[in-house]
Amino acid sequence: MTIQPIIKIDNLHKQFGTTAALNGVNMFVYPGEVVVIIGPSGSGKSTLLRCINRLENFEAGSVVVDDIPLTTAENINAIRTEVGMVFQSFNLFPHLTVLENVTVAQKVVRKRTKPEAVETALSLLEKVGIPEKANDFPGQLSGGQQQRVAIARALAMNPKIMLFDEPTSALDPEMIQEVLDVMLQLAKEGMTMVVVSHEMGFARAAADRALLMDEGVIVEEDVPDVLFSMPKQERTKAFLSKIL
Amino acid sequence: MRAQKELEALPDQDISDRHLDGWWWLVVAVIALVILLATFQPDPYWRIIRFVSDGILVTVGVTLTAFILTLIMGLITALGRLSKNKTLCWFTTIYVEVARGVPLLVQLLFWYFAFPSLIHSLGHLIHYVPFQRYLANPFVMAIIGLTFCYSAYMSEIYRAGIQSIPKGQNEAARSLGMSHNQAMRYIILPQALKVILPPVGNEFISLLKDSSLVSVVSVADMTRRGREFMAASFIPVETWLMIALLYLIMTLISARVVAWIERETQTEER
Repeated sequence: MTIQPIIKIDNLHKQFGTTAALNGVNMFVYPGEVVVIIGPSGSGKSTLLRCINRLENFEAGSVVVDDIPLTTAENINAIRTEVGMVFQSFNLFPHLTVLENVTVAQKVVRKRTKPEAVETALSLLEKVGIPEKANDFPGQLSGGQQQRVAIARALAMNPKIMLFDEPTSALDPEMIQEVLDVMLQLAKEGMTMVVVSHEMGFARAAADRALLMDEGVIVEEDVPDVLFSMPKQERTKAFLSKIL
Repeated sequence: MRAQKELEALPDQDISDRHLDGWWWLVVAVIALVILLATFQPDPYWRIIRFVSDGILVTVGVTLTAFILTLIMGLITALGRLSKNKTLCWFTTIYVEVARGVPLLVQLLFWYFAFPSLIHSLGHLIHYVPFQRYLANPFVMAIIGLTFCYSAYMSEIYRAGIQSIPKGQNEAARSLGMSHNQAMRYIILPQALKVILPPVGNEFISLLKDSSLVSVVSVADMTRRGREFMAASFIPVETWLMIALLYLIMTLISARVVAWIERETQTEER
């Protein structure tokens, strides 16, 4: 029996007004795989990620997540619970405590009881290394701590896939590692992850594949070490020379 | 932030400083003035107060009822305007434009005089006797009129508040699997509420003052009772001075309460 991809993206097209953000993207992600997407800004990497849980609609092509085609999905919310998302700007709920941030969707969407939700939340906060901040508000936390709470919040829904949209881009340099450590641990545990990030260290350490996107298409993909050191395409070389 | 924490660490006797602001003395001064006038010049001031006292209750009752309805109708209208449903959005937008574009006084006159006539005509048209015999209750029509007009303004406050919440909040909520309604209820509205509290408080004060307009549609509120007193006594200066002071007490107290709520909600979560 062959393993089926958990994410199947076929010929995906997305327009923003007159500019094409995605110009025919084909991509498979297999269960347990970690895929890192790099590329210049405006290349469509975030848009691609946001199409996987339909935060963005698309004009043509198809996205199939866990055997459910997104275009015909009757309950998009059910799919979103299976796909956790971590944002560049954290997007924690500022009016709720850290604990409430992690429990609210469990209670409202997963219909867990309060003790169940709190138990899950506390063990996840332990996992991301900040159990002592449970009763603080997000505004009292550092950027790195906020992003770790955001990861815990997404994990609380027991997703099958985690999407990371430039999770460390808004962080001060000294806080990047604490977030990457949590992501590395997740990757080791076998979580399926799609990560938009230029953290080469993380990509080399955790990713099975790296993709370079430019102008709405996937230009090149390979094992991270190979892609970063021996790129075949001129566009990949040009991009890597700018960021390395 | 440090100063705030130190303030909170101070013992209990400082609570009054923290909870009352510098303008409460004005409220006290106006109340004192009214008490002084009523005590040392009971004729006519105490007579006026006694005469209009039932009107005070009517003014408070009309204002509070209309305000609570406005909070509900305003929210429904705002959600309609923000809805992706084109018809709903179109319908609520027209309502807001009409209700804000017609003077409140004209709207009150319409609801009290024209609306019942329309119901009668409709009753004759469809031969429905209860409609033909429909009698407008001035109190009810005044509250409908105030609510109709103020809900339009209130919906714009709600809309601005909801739109002031960053898009990422909604996206985070939706990405966790919340429905549109759940994201509104648990994530967006609680945050918007804090933003809109000050303007909503101002709406309450405006509504309190504009409630005096219901006096022209047979509601015996404070203003109407004042007019009746003046008609019987021919002392306009004292009458309207006292009515003005009574309104002033209510609006000043409301303004202080609004300022207090504002400060309480702002210190709550830093």
